[in-house]
Amino acid sequence: MNRVVENLEARRDGEAEGLDRADAPPFRHRLIGAPIPRKEDDRLLRGDGRFTDDVEFAHQLEMAVGRCPFPHARIRSIDISQARALAGVKHILIGPEVRRASGPLTVLRPVPGAPQLPYYALAQERALHEGQPVVSVVATSRAVAEDAIELVDIDYEPLPHLSDALDALAEGSPVLHPDVLPSNLLASNKDRSGDPEGRMAEADTVIEGRFRINRVTALPMEARAIVAVWRPGARELTVHASTQVPHLVRKQLAECLRIDEGCIRVIASDVGGGFGQKLGICPEDILACLHAMALRRPVKWIEDRLEYFRASTHGREAIHDFRIGARADGQILAMTNIYRTDLGAWNSSFGSAQLSSVVFTGPYKVADGSVERQVVLTNKTPIGAYRGYGQPEVNFALEVLIDRLARRLRYDPLEFRARNMLRPEDFPWKTPSGAVYDSGDYLRTLRMAAEAVGYQAHRASPKRRKDGRLVGIGLSSFVERTGYASARFLANRGSKFGAHESVTLRANRSGGIDLYTGVSTFGQGNETAFAQLCAGILGVEYDAIHVHAGDTGASPLNTGAFASRTLIAAAGALREAAQSLRDKTIRIGAWALDAAARDVEIAGTVLRLRGDPGRSMALSEIFTRAILGQGIPAGETPGLEATAHFEPPAAAFSFGTAAAVVSVDPETGEFSVERFVMVHDCGTVVNPALVEGQVRGALVQGLGAALGEELRYDKETGQLVSGSMLDYLAPTAADVPPIELLHTEVPSPVTTLGIRGVGEVGTIPPGAAVANALCDALAAYGVEISELPITPESVWRAIAASSACSSGA
Amino acid sequence: METTALSANAKEIGLRINGEAVRESVPVRMHAADFLRHRLGLTGTHVGCEQGVCGMCTILVDGQAVKSCLLLAVQLDGADLWTVESLATGDELNELQQAFKRHHALQCGFCTPGFLMLATSLKKRGEPLSRAEIREEISGVLCRCTGYEGILRALEEYLQAPGEKETAGAGVAR
Repeated sequence: MNRVVENLEARRDGEAEGLDRADAPPFRHRLIGAPIPRKEDDRLLRGDGRFTDDVEFAHQLEMAVGRCPFPHARIRSIDISQARALAGVKHILIGPEVRRASGPLTVLRPVPGAPQLPYYALAQERALHEGQPVVSVVATSRAVAEDAIELVDIDYEPLPHLSDALDALAEGSPVLHPDVLPSNLLASNKDRSGDPEGRMAEADTVIEGRFRINRVTALPMEARAIVAVWRPGARELTVHASTQVPHLVRKQLAECLRIDEGCIRVIASDVGGGFGQKLGICPEDILACLHAMALRRPVKWIEDRLEYFRASTHGREAIHDFRIGARADGQILAMTNIYRTDLGAWNSSFGSAQLSSVVFTGPYKVADGSVERQVVLTNKTPIGAYRGYGQPEVNFALEVLIDRLARRLRYDPLEFRARNMLRPEDFPWKTPSGAVYDSGDYLRTLRMAAEAVGYQAHRASPKRRKDGRLVGIGLSSFVERTGYASARFLANRGSKFGAHESVTLRANRSGGIDLYTGVSTFGQGNETAFAQLCAGILGVEYDAIHVHAGDTGASPLNTGAFASRTLIAAAGALREAAQSLRDKTIRIGAWALDAAARDVEIAGTVLRLRGDPGRSMALSEIFTRAILGQGIPAGETPGLEATAHFEPPAAAFSFGTAAAVVSVDPETGEFSVERFVMVHDCGTVVNPALVEGQVRGALVQGLGAALGEELRYDKETGQLVSGSMLDYLAPTAADVPPIELLHTEVPSPVTTLGIRGVGEVGTIPPGAAVANALCDALAAYGVEISELPITPESVWRAIAASSACSSGA
Repeated sequence: METTALSANAKEIGLRINGEAVRESVPVRMHAADFLRHRLGLTGTHVGCEQGVCGMCTILVDGQAVKSCLLLAVQLDGADLWTVESLATGDELNELQQAFKRHHALQCGFCTPGFLMLATSLKKRGEPLSRAEIREEISGVLCRCTGYEGILRALEEYLQAPGEKETAGAGVAR
């Protein structure tokens, strides 16, 4: 394992501005920073996980969904008589009934200024994308329900469709939502500061490029899933769902079903991957609940992989027009970016990426800039959040253009980056889009990546190998916004969620702690990290912490796991709750031992006198006293439980640099990534094994999206042509290049314990690093790469295009 | 209009599953993974794509690693099956499971049973495998969380280790 942690000790010990010195004792606890095994593993290794499809109820029914086969069609009529007659069919829903029984799908993260689109769980008179639900059937088994769908007779009138954002914006294009919008531009918003136009005019060199980023999918191995159970007498709708945000699903279900939130309990036990996709509700969630409420029987829907590709929100897809102006001495003066995100036909719960705007100037010291986002509607599946959510897109455009500009100015790309990078003394740094970078040593990650990959030696050596392959090296530096600035910031952006996390700790009579969190468990290792922090702060055994995750009926209200925010926010809540629990335990225990509170300490399973460890009391005894209210000091209330909510005061920006070494056959365009090095900083590391897992997993997803994954629509027919696992090429173990990871550790001054988020960073740099390496290898051909994914075919075409250009010249 | 429930077409099958004899009547169109999960309650075998690409449903059938979504339940008649539930003995994880835990070879854990059963079959071959060969061998099971690194480390260690003492899952070679 090539892991190097460079502790910046002075900062770590609390010198960094704003870092609470009270953090110091828990910092040094043996558990924080230790790669201890995960709480989650035993059940998952034994096949004893509880994923949504593993939940079964007596008298359970199953749902199937009939979907529009056209990208855009009017629904002339639906005849369900044959389907209804099939033995085993219990209930059928079509558009008008859904509209009577429920409201349109609500949005958790609206685009500012955009109208609410009339997005119902089933298509009304028109379906706007291939795969949009049109009819749904509940039957005694999924097989019977699917048979019934085959028997539904739907008369469609295909309508003109749009599958490209630029076409959709063109004058005279058919408008998807003519009742609420005059065009297919859902909304646009612009951020700017300084005088980008003036500075651009001063520049000696201005370079611009158009970059196309592919539509991809998160592809969690467990697709979406829901089981809905309605008990009318109790007025309780219990929903088992595969989701990252149980409390937000509860909120949305209440809004759409028009019932009180108190009637709904959402449970997400084990979740088989999320990656941002499982945020908020989709049409099928509403349908399952409507059926269950009508039938008063449990209804299960497990998305199959074919419907997954057509109906679960997609990710990315954008067109960036990026400009950079620089002086001849290599100083960047201004950056501008206009980008269009292709939202598909509807605004999903999490809608369109805004983070491209937030970090569009990357790690560079650029004060004059402007960025405009245009959110465009097309006849495609709605886009939702996907790991990185806007940051991989803009990083590809920015970092590829940085290399082109460096070459134009005859600078080495490494030195050009170094020259323009923000320095530690520049922080806090406010970007042209208003984001505030908290702290960091960006340049150090660039230098470390260059050293690790042997940058200088490589550039000096001949690039053509004996076998005729050309070798190139490419860099990509990045920042990643992790967490959110604050609830106030989110409110300004119209978001319907906050920025806080919460936790409840409850002592039990066995001497353990029950930890309740609304964060569900989908691979990040939350149970482990939460227990690690809790045990570390309390001083109890790691095994004594029992984590109950993802049940709205048990957990305090929270936000959920996304935007690499979980630990940033949860650590604050955990610290507060644990300190409160610890204080009361010490008060009761010290009183029982006839000692002063300052003289006792919690040590594993006991509370003991510091100077006299023989005088001690088992925690189980103290907890039992507290729970019974017997044998506690006068004036002390019974019970031993603490709930805390915590909102981080600001977002923390992770950062780093990736370097790729690529070899390419200039005849065929076939290439391979021979090395991939990444230096990354996520502040204080709670568990290095979890951090490495998150970074590597995201890197492979990022490499997949950069080098092969694509949801491609046929322009003529509007059909999704890569809509199965056989066509959508996610990386296998055999596809992963050698990856070397290095870490630096600059604690953030704005978060508890100095933690920065880590969940998404790996998705950001692969596209640009590989593109830059290929362009370096093929420099003699003048090849430029402006589109993702980068495939042997696209490289071959780029070589052919540039050769054709040069031979024609 | 007369309609019929196609699922009524059923057949009785007999097989051994994790060492136990089972007889069940199953619809002829039910696939093996659904049979294991929903008839027998062996939910450790997961379903990810139902077209044999993702490998979540990998089990051992007569000693071979097989994607159970590509088999019909009726094809299991007379077979000897082993699933992830057979690996641990009582409270004790077997060496493979322990290697996975040690090397952080799982995150969401949805793919884990597939990898464990595939690895069990690789171990039975008794051949040493290089890292590159392991990569090729496991490329029929997808993982979206780990980037495969922990899985490779765990498998390298497990496949190099001398054979473990007989556990339920190891019984397939008999």
